[in-house]
Amino acid sequence: MGLLLAVLVTGIGTLVVVYAAAYLKGSDRIGRFMGFLFLFAGAMLGLAVSENLLVLFIFWELTSISSYLLIGHFHEKLESRKSALDALLITAGGGVAFLAGVLMLGEVGGTYQLGALIEARELVQEHALYPAIFLCVLIGAITKSAQFPFHFWLPGAMAAPAPVSAYLHSATMVKAGVFLIAIVHPLLGATPLWHFTLMGFGAITMTWAALVAMVQTDLKRLLAFSTVSALGTLMMLLGMENTLAIKAAMLFLIVHAFYKGALFMVAGAIEKATGTREIAQLRGLLRTFPLLGIGAVAAALSMSGLPPFVGFIAKELLYEVKLEEPPIGMILLVCGLVANAANVVVALKVGLLPFLGTRGNEEFKNLKPRGIGFWIGPLLLGVGSLVFGLFPGLILGKPVEAMVQQVAALDFEVKLKLWHGFNLVLLLSLITVISGLVLFFFRDALWRFGEFLRRRLGWSGVAVFRAGLAGFLRGAGAITRGIQSGNITVYLTIIFLVAMATLGGAWWLSGYSPSFPTRGEFRFEVLLLGLLLIGLGVLTVRATRRMTSIFLLGCVGFGVAALFALYGAPDLAITQILVETLTLLLFALAIYGLPGMKEKVAPNPRSWGALFVAICVGTGFTLLTLKAFDVQLADAVALDLAAISLPEAYGKNVVNVILVDFRALDTMGEITVLVIAALGVFAMLGDKGIRGGGSSMERSPVLGASARYTAPLMIVFSVYLLLRGHNEPGGGFIGGLVAAMGAVLVHLAHPSKPLRLFRLGPGALMVVGLAFAVLSGIPAWFFGEPYLTALWGGSLTLPAVGKVMLGTPLIFDIGVYLVVAGVVMMLYQTMERWQVAYRMNPNSTTSS
Amino acid sequence: MELIIAIMIGCLAACGTRMLLQRSLFRVLIGLALLAQAANVLVFTAAGLGRGDTAVIAKTAKELPEGHPDPLAQALVLTAIVISFGVLAFCLVLLKRTHRRTADADVDALARVES
Amino acid sequence: MEPIAIALPVVLPLLLSLVAWLLRDRPAVSRVFLPAGLAALLGSALWLFSIIHASDVPIRVDFGSWEKPLGISFQVDLFAAIMVVVAGIIGFAGALFAMGEIGRVIWRKGYGTFFFLLLAGINGAFLTNDLFNLFVWFEVMLMSSFAMLVLGRGKYVFEGATKYVVINMVSSFFFLSGLGVIYGKTGQLNLDEVAMRLASSGSDPVILSSAALLLIAFGIKAGVFPLYFWLPPAYPNTGFATAAVFGGLLTKVGVYALFRVFGGAFGFLSEIIGPLFLVVGAATMVAGVLGAASQFHTRRILSFHIVSQIGYIVLGLGLFTQGAFAAAIFYIVHHILVKTNLFLAAGAIASTGRSERLEKLGGLLKGAPLLAVLFLIPALSLGGIPPLSGFFAKFLLLREALREEAYVYVVIALLVGVVTLFSMTKIWGEAFWKESPRPGGIEKFRKVQLVPMAMLGSLTILIGIFVDPLFRLSERAADQLIQSNPALVQSVSPPPES
Repeated sequence: MGLLLAVLVTGIGTLVVVYAAAYLKGSDRIGRFMGFLFLFAGAMLGLAVSENLLVLFIFWELTSISSYLLIGHFHEKLESRKSALDALLITAGGGVAFLAGVLMLGEVGGTYQLGALIEARELVQEHALYPAIFLCVLIGAITKSAQFPFHFWLPGAMAAPAPVSAYLHSATMVKAGVFLIAIVHPLLGATPLWHFTLMGFGAITMTWAALVAMVQTDLKRLLAFSTVSALGTLMMLLGMENTLAIKAAMLFLIVHAFYKGALFMVAGAIEKATGTREIAQLRGLLRTFPLLGIGAVAAALSMSGLPPFVGFIAKELLYEVKLEEPPIGMILLVCGLVANAANVVVALKVGLLPFLGTRGNEEFKNLKPRGIGFWIGPLLLGVGSLVFGLFPGLILGKPVEAMVQQVAALDFEVKLKLWHGFNLVLLLSLITVISGLVLFFFRDALWRFGEFLRRRLGWSGVAVFRAGLAGFLRGAGAITRGIQSGNITVYLTIIFLVAMATLGGAWWLSGYSPSFPTRGEFRFEVLLLGLLLIGLGVLTVRATRRMTSIFLLGCVGFGVAALFALYGAPDLAITQILVETLTLLLFALAIYGLPGMKEKVAPNPRSWGALFVAICVGTGFTLLTLKAFDVQLADAVALDLAAISLPEAYGKNVVNVILVDFRALDTMGEITVLVIAALGVFAMLGDKGIRGGGSSMERSPVLGASARYTAPLMIVFSVYLLLRGHNEPGGGFIGGLVAAMGAVLVHLAHPSKPLRLFRLGPGALMVVGLAFAVLSGIPAWFFGEPYLTALWGGSLTLPAVGKVMLGTPLIFDIGVYLVVAGVVMMLYQTMERWQVAYRMNPNSTTSS
Repeated sequence: MELIIAIMIGCLAACGTRMLLQRSLFRVLIGLALLAQAANVLVFTAAGLGRGDTAVIAKTAKELPEGHPDPLAQALVLTAIVISFGVLAFCLVLLKRTHRRTADADVDALARVES
Repeated sequence: MEPIAIALPVVLPLLLSLVAWLLRDRPAVSRVFLPAGLAALLGSALWLFSIIHASDVPIRVDFGSWEKPLGISFQVDLFAAIMVVVAGIIGFAGALFAMGEIGRVIWRKGYGTFFFLLLAGINGAFLTNDLFNLFVWFEVMLMSSFAMLVLGRGKYVFEGATKYVVINMVSSFFFLSGLGVIYGKTGQLNLDEVAMRLASSGSDPVILSSAALLLIAFGIKAGVFPLYFWLPPAYPNTGFATAAVFGGLLTKVGVYALFRVFGGAFGFLSEIIGPLFLVVGAATMVAGVLGAASQFHTRRILSFHIVSQIGYIVLGLGLFTQGAFAAAIFYIVHHILVKTNLFLAAGAIASTGRSERLEKLGGLLKGAPLLAVLFLIPALSLGGIPPLSGFFAKFLLLREALREEAYVYVVIALLVGVVTLFSMTKIWGEAFWKESPRPGGIEKFRKVQLVPMAMLGSLTILIGIFVDPLFRLSERAADQLIQSNPALVQSVSPPPES
């Protein structure tokens, strides 16, 4: 079976390549086209010879993709692109189902090897997943082979150049679905599900597509619909499952590849030569293209099923099969009759009409005969049909026999003959041809009837599909606009509600019961502070002026600092106070110039919803905190840290030791964040801000006088804080903040001088500081220790500070000190320049 | 005592949330600052509140006294405070930039980016 | 040498960032220094990987020699090492692209510095085994991403950045709260120690609420439904190299944290969290792909596809089997390479076609055939077309889902795959096939921009060819990840005496 497909692929492929070279002569895209064509041929060959279903699937998808790229060859045309997309979506969608089927087979059978799976077929067929597997594989097959209701992509695919239509969309790729069904027949077949589904799809497709084909006037669409019909026939035969049917299917597959390939090439040649594919305009081409005409007529006769062409044998077999299976066979027989009669019409329309008669159209008078590439393919295929018909047993017998044995999984001798004698089957053939001729005679009436129906119904597969796709896109757009509305308030509302719902869910799962811990001793000042903070928080929300909310925010910060102080965290409290002061300052500087600094903010229409969310969050966090108090444990790592702080890390201020030694890496990250923030602020300034230079603030004499004395003191004090930090509250962070304030003070007193500390600008301070911190960890590597391992080298006793241990942690802390000072100075400088820019040109900041 | 602190944390979180959900970007920023405060206090207190001693070993002592506060939690909060300061400072300037471009510090102005 | 190898992916970019700052006034030098530095970083990542690969167990380094759990430890298993290598590759590719894209002014403002610091933060987050340290690296990463974001030149860069910044700060708020609560409960920050205590303490309200908060925090960063709102406005409005690096790495750091924390320490909650992740993963896939289908702007399409792809990965986490973890790790690697490549392609498309809106693009197949090929590789890979990496990623994941009988999710994942392919063909059809709507046709573009794309594209193809080695690697990584979960592996070692 695979071998046959491979032969078809290479054989017809060769002819098509020759033909395509002629067809696309002079096109600058021929290289790309041939590339895709060979890609396809390779994929198709791979598909044909794959024994592993997964590998087969890979090639399967490759054929879909190369088909997509080939259909879109004339990609400037909108219709081309759309058709290519239709084809891809249908086949790839089916491919996805096929993949699911393969996956399930792999899980059920434990292998992807087809042979091994067939050996385990009972396991597969009795598995609960069998119907799902079958359906998935089926969907894969019928989408690829363009079965109703997925057939419509194939006529659309006629937008491709003719060689592609001849090759992919009649001879090979669309057969892949049939091929798949055939090779999995031993594995999945012989069940009622298989039997009826396939017969049903096949018969409907066969009949319906044949009827539609009959009324087409475009050469290629005619052929496309008749291809769909032929594919339906094949599916139906495979669904009938008796050996005769399979024999018929195999024979028909070959026969069809021959005559349809030929006819497609003929159609392409005609189009190329005359510029049209409308049958009505084509007449009397035989004289110009005699050899092409011979091929076309031969193929058409084969398609009509006239002796002595091979198509006759195939059709005889079809009827014979149907007669053998009485009840259903009768229905199928009627369907088959209709379809075959319609096929006769199609064959005559394509193969005969354009060539016969006198030249009707003036334009075609000057047609020149074309080169060999055009007619060699159709001629060979047409003649082949005749040869096979005359000597069927000689050439086709053995391969068909082998295929039937593979597909039906039993021995069966195939005898092919042209002449069976006078019998019922021959009578049926006769009826077919006669009714076909009658219909052909009334073709114009038929066409009008078809047009009438089409207009009345206004319905076609492709229209429905595209409407569905457009509807899906509209729906996706509506949903997306619903979710991603662009309004950050909505986003935050959803996030908070989801968070609280998750929290609530967690409590519900774990059986939360509120408890009111009373472990801590009652302290009046804490109660007062708590109430104060609650009040401040509420006031902050209610404040309508910007300045007020900033002030209140600062108060909240100081309140929190007080709380830290009350619970034994002096370092925290100091840091918090300093940070809050800075924040306050920055906020105040930043809002300077914002519109409505003092005005009331407009009432908020979303306020009730927001209030609800806020109350949810508040309740959630209160309950969470209450529960978090509820635990006490013995083996916290903090206890170990406190115990080794002095003996091993030589520091009495445990918090500072943690910051510069135990968890110095955290601190390194922290100062990195600071540096990035400052540099980011710096970067966000327009170029004007950067080049702004010195400040234009007026000099204040009082400030100048006081700064002269306090500023150096502050800087000295900051160094003191830094050095003593290891043993007492203080440290690099607090020291750095104080130093920055000193530097700013100096700057305020002497605005003409740039902002400096230790003669370094803010940027330099940050870089040097971060370098200190990062490098202080590296010496440890030379001693084979991990990064940031402390190295100590003696101690120094300083007045006022006391004993200072010298070592890498100190260098690290100095780095922190410098970074913090630099960051604060940089932020200040930025804001100040902003102020200057604003004052010089207020409009530049209030309007874009 | 824990009760009042728990309510206070809840209240700060609620106020922060309420501010975040306002139209004015300036208030959104204040909301973020309040949320950061709430989280910091939560971390500080979740590790257990001491009696008020510091986590500094006395001059003469070798170890912290029994029942000392959790120094690690303090270190974490300190780091968190500094980080949130850095981020807030950045946001502040971002707000100014956004505002300068949109000419109104309102969240609705942000919707344009997604249309 | 191990301590150096493990610290280097963080320390090296920190140092390089300082050098980059000093060089910022010489854009010509900065331009070269960035990729050179990132090549060095990639080298150090590969060194680390080779060490971890050779070892059977994860290797730990205790910073400052303070033995676990006193100080901060990096515990590097294969998963972490793989991620660091991938981050190195992406950083290098992004830097190469930035060479051609970033202008003098942006270099002056310290683009290179932020780039290095971003990588430092990302690597720190991958390597650390400490919950608070993870928070710190997250912040480093976020801050540098904020800074890089606002250096973009898009029309609405500040609007997008504001959403990104605010929502990510809310995420940090939840992270810090959850972390504080879990620290209060266990007294530990080291993930192993936390895991050990959680496994023995079972699920009580405090632990579950901390899990919930961390879930939300990481969920926001990972960009899962319904928490991904920050992503679509931010990425399409910044620089291309920036968006490419972000698109590849940032959400994946969130996903990585989900795996570390919920696949590891909180693994004992798998019966609750597993189904939750399945639902969230499916919803994320669908919401993302619908969003992508409705967009007509290259980077917006791609941004929504990040969301959708995160859904697949979260699905892998939700299945909670070793095979699913392995498939998810495979998926992450594939996804990062492909997504970055697509964003780079979007950059090249924009510089060639002078627009990102599909209706204004066209004619690129004729004008830039090489770009077309380089776009097609990642696009088809994302669409799950064999034999590219995306097919195998999907295949492995779906196979696991089938084994776990999660049929509904298989169907959803497959359908989403089709729509993904549709989105990619939409870009292809409009930008490459269609004729250019503008008379001027297309612009010349810098060929150098194609170099990183070619690099990533060939990696995608290589993964497709060598599926087996990478999958076996992922399996080993998944195995080590599971081993870190005391609830799934009956741990014999008792908690150390304090």
